[in-house]
Amino acid sequence: MPKIELQQDELFRYSGRKFSADELEEALTIAKAEIDDPVDEDGLIKIELNDTNRPDLWSTAGLGRALRLYHGSGSAGRYGFFSRPDSPVAAGDRRIVVDPELSERRPYITAFAISGPPIADVLLDDLIQTQEKLCWNYGRKRKAIAMGVYREDKIQYPIRYKAVDPDSTTFVPLGLDSELSLRQIIEQHPKGREFGGIVAALDKFPFLTDNSGAVLSFPPVINSADVGAVQAGDTSLFIEMTGTDLKPLLLACSIVACDLADAGYTVHPVQVEYPYDTPFGRTVVSPLYFQQPVSVELAYAERLLGAELNADEAVQRLGKMGVRAEAASGVITAYPPEYRNDFLHPVDVVEDLMIGYGMNAFPSEAPRDFTVGRLTEAEIFSREVKTLLVGMGYQEMIFNYLGSRRDFIDNMYPEEQRATAAADCVRIANPMSENFEFVRPSIVPQLLGAESVSAHAVYPHYIFEVGKVAVRDADDNYGSRTVTTLGAVVADADAGFNLVSSQAAALFFYLGLTYEPSVVDDPRFLAGRVAALLVKGERVGILGELHPQVLENWGVTVPCAVIELDLDLLRRVGGSD
Amino acid sequence: MRTDEDIKSLHPLEVTVLRRYDAADVLSASALQRDLGLNVGQSNQALSWLAARDSLQEHNRSILTRYEITDLGRDYAEHGTPEERVQAAAREHGPLPLPRIAELTELPNKDVGSAFGKLSKLGILGMDGEKQVSYAAGPEPSAAQADIDLVRALLRRAAAAPQGLLEENELSDDERRLIGEISKKRGASGAAFRVVESEIVEYTLTESGMALRAAVEAAGLSGEEVGALTPAMLRDGSWKGKSFRSYSIHVPPSRLLIGRRNPYCSYLDQVKDKLVSLGFEEFDGPLVETEFWNSDALFMPQFHSARDIHDVYYVADPTHAQEIQEPFLSRVAATHEDGWETGSSGWDYGFDRDFTRRLILRSQGTVMSAKTLHQAKVPGKYFGILRCFRYDQVDATHLSDFYQTEGIVLGEDVNLRTLMGMLEMFAVELAGATDVKCVPGYFPFTEPSVEIHIKHPELGWFELGGAGIFRPEVTEPMGVSVPVLAWGLGIDRMALMHLGLNDLRELFSPNIENVRLRTGKQAG
Repeated sequence: MPKIELQQDELFRYSGRKFSADELEEALTIAKAEIDDPVDEDGLIKIELNDTNRPDLWSTAGLGRALRLYHGSGSAGRYGFFSRPDSPVAAGDRRIVVDPELSERRPYITAFAISGPPIADVLLDDLIQTQEKLCWNYGRKRKAIAMGVYREDKIQYPIRYKAVDPDSTTFVPLGLDSELSLRQIIEQHPKGREFGGIVAALDKFPFLTDNSGAVLSFPPVINSADVGAVQAGDTSLFIEMTGTDLKPLLLACSIVACDLADAGYTVHPVQVEYPYDTPFGRTVVSPLYFQQPVSVELAYAERLLGAELNADEAVQRLGKMGVRAEAASGVITAYPPEYRNDFLHPVDVVEDLMIGYGMNAFPSEAPRDFTVGRLTEAEIFSREVKTLLVGMGYQEMIFNYLGSRRDFIDNMYPEEQRATAAADCVRIANPMSENFEFVRPSIVPQLLGAESVSAHAVYPHYIFEVGKVAVRDADDNYGSRTVTTLGAVVADADAGFNLVSSQAAALFFYLGLTYEPSVVDDPRFLAGRVAALLVKGERVGILGELHPQVLENWGVTVPCAVIELDLDLLRRVGGSD
Repeated sequence: MRTDEDIKSLHPLEVTVLRRYDAADVLSASALQRDLGLNVGQSNQALSWLAARDSLQEHNRSILTRYEITDLGRDYAEHGTPEERVQAAAREHGPLPLPRIAELTELPNKDVGSAFGKLSKLGILGMDGEKQVSYAAGPEPSAAQADIDLVRALLRRAAAAPQGLLEENELSDDERRLIGEISKKRGASGAAFRVVESEIVEYTLTESGMALRAAVEAAGLSGEEVGALTPAMLRDGSWKGKSFRSYSIHVPPSRLLIGRRNPYCSYLDQVKDKLVSLGFEEFDGPLVETEFWNSDALFMPQFHSARDIHDVYYVADPTHAQEIQEPFLSRVAATHEDGWETGSSGWDYGFDRDFTRRLILRSQGTVMSAKTLHQAKVPGKYFGILRCFRYDQVDATHLSDFYQTEGIVLGEDVNLRTLMGMLEMFAVELAGATDVKCVPGYFPFTEPSVEIHIKHPELGWFELGGAGIFRPEVTEPMGVSVPVLAWGLGIDRMALMHLGLNDLRELFSPNIENVRLRTGKQAG
């Protein structure tokens, strides 16, 4: 979820009013926003925005606009520079011509220009932050949306958006003073290393020049050091966005255009000419209002909100959310603002109604339906087992489920068996660290982990856990099974087979079950002091004395005896009497 | 002074001693042995216990010298000292050469030589030019002869004394002189006595000792009180008429290691029980899941930023589930693409049916809410406390795996207001909240969505959880047409407070001693 840092005074200017700290906290709830860091001595405040579908709120102007519409006297303004799919605004000379070779590479570009008073530092900072947040959070780290800002007075229209050879094409990127090829940029330039991966596999790279051949940028990586170097004091800017899907690009373009219009600039549309089809034809003028109205039956909204609504008031309440709406015969038709595209379903209008009315309009009500509560069978059985273990003097433990190869495999098995043991485990393909690479296949390693850090605790140690483990199972749809498991360890000078054998017998007796011990070969245990436990021929678990090599691997210097049981299987075979 | 309490901690030996002696008496180990018939160990023990509780004060400390007869001394006592034996041999068989005397007396030559030397110096024996020894003294008793007899008498007395001991201060001056001589003769062939020196401490009763004594008498303690009640006493009835020693209840008890639940697990159980009591049925499922159930079925677009490789753990092998259950796969795919029959516009992209089978570790408990929908009862309430996995650096506030508490409510009449009513119920029942506030929230799968903030009596205001009404894009592909409330609660913060911890990692501590000592507050 994005966090933005902004000048509180600027926010108040866009909001049309001031707020105290408490008022602001409360006021921000309508934007699902909260104060992350309160205002500091430089007037900066940090705000977290929770709605990932509302990128229009991720700027000072956008957030200020939402506060003005809801808490101020403002009404939803109209932005006259928007084209509609069937009625484009004249763009004049401001044209971009797209190379046919981009259709399979990075096919779409949207753009507009602004002119007005010299750009102040604070606005430039905000514009750069908007660019970052839009491209990083909404534009998936520039993959879907990359934005470039340029000095328009250095540009000769029409602009050329083309695909070029990465090795023979060179220019001076921002931050350097010598020419590099596009290939060198993605290999050497910091921005190239960060974002070059988006285009690295392409045979030709996207490239933006003006009509004279002056380089604007190498999208989505880096601007040129000349046209692409914007400074405070500039009075006209050209802004473009390239990407893979047209609608998100158009929305991002609309958001930035509305922000700059609210900041007092004149927005000039730009016409993009494609040699291939797009969802909006081959000639697309942006900013474009492409959103569709959404209709919601008032009765549907009333059902979800649990309150009666008046149609006219509902329309007015949507206005506070910046949503133009009209009501006719029990249906409200909502027109999303130009800078929003989060109305996928009528429920999205219902939520704006909820916020528009305010939470106080919907007093809470106790649920009325009667339902029967119950625990899962596995939980009930687990609790029975835990009660018995506690009765035998065991301390219950609880562990994390992720661990390392060393813990789960190397420390437990002799070298020649480790590959097989690892193959039985669920392994993570993209672990954050080798300490959390495997899902545990057994509880015993972690019980030994506890022993290895607890030599100072008075002996004897009786410890257990009932929890989940995951084991590979080729027959399963997911290739693995999650198993509710009991693991118990006794660490004591006298801990041995006979002790855990007696405990298992007692446990089974009180669970109303009987087991047959069976000889088993398991290198984790001392040979001849380990038994598999069979119930009705099914192997439900194992008990025995751990091999001294295993104890040595863990740095445990006290003998340990173990019981481990598959409680799911035990419950199934035991319950089938 | 707590004499009433003190007398309960008195050992019977202490009681016996206190009753026997008064303020003017001097107590010592030998006195106790003499007066009470105790052995040395009992005497010393009783004195040290009483001294430790300040009932006795030191009166005098002295060195007691005693002479303990050796094995050699016992031999002399029985058969005579070398002086006696050599003298007798010379008188009865003399004149004789020294070797011959040695043969007759069965003494080593060396002892015969030194006995002769001593006797000849005293004029009792003499030797001629032929080295023949003969008796030289007259018939009248001499002082020298008296000494020899006295030594023999000492030896006999010692041999008959308890432990073969003679106390120096009980000997006459002559005896003390003579025993000193024969005791000092260490080395060559040993001595008849060994010198034993020991420290004698004498005590008198202190004021508090006297008070204790009075308390003992007042309580009628005899020192004969029974300590442990034994099965034998019960069998033969010998307990009857006996009084039993009172124990001190202030002695710190010794530590007991008991079997015990883990307090964090107990806390989770309490939450489960509370939810069951509110009519919720528990659900559970596998740790390994598909992208389909983890996110697609929740209408999170496959390009959503929270579905990046750095947000979810992918399973290495196998990488994909064999299949996704129909008709859910087709319906969800269509819903993502164009909204299917849900009334939604969908996300307007090509749904990836390969990616949707990708196996991952469950990253949110909402998976089980999604999986439960198609088999849920209406009305129905469900919950789960489910282990989830996150691609996070582990620190005090982030874990690689942790529990999420999630659930759903299905019903014809559920709505935003009953949702908030339910959240308020959770806030009061589960968190003991004193105040509740709902604000608009955002979750990809609910619309409308709210966050619930509560005022906790100890933690103050914090966000207890989030909730909302499942989007129709989530419920309708599962064949559910009634509204479904979905909720999630962050209970770990309350769990930490409950356990007095401030680091999430501590919830899963492997340290046995820490876990043993950890106590949860009782559920209020």
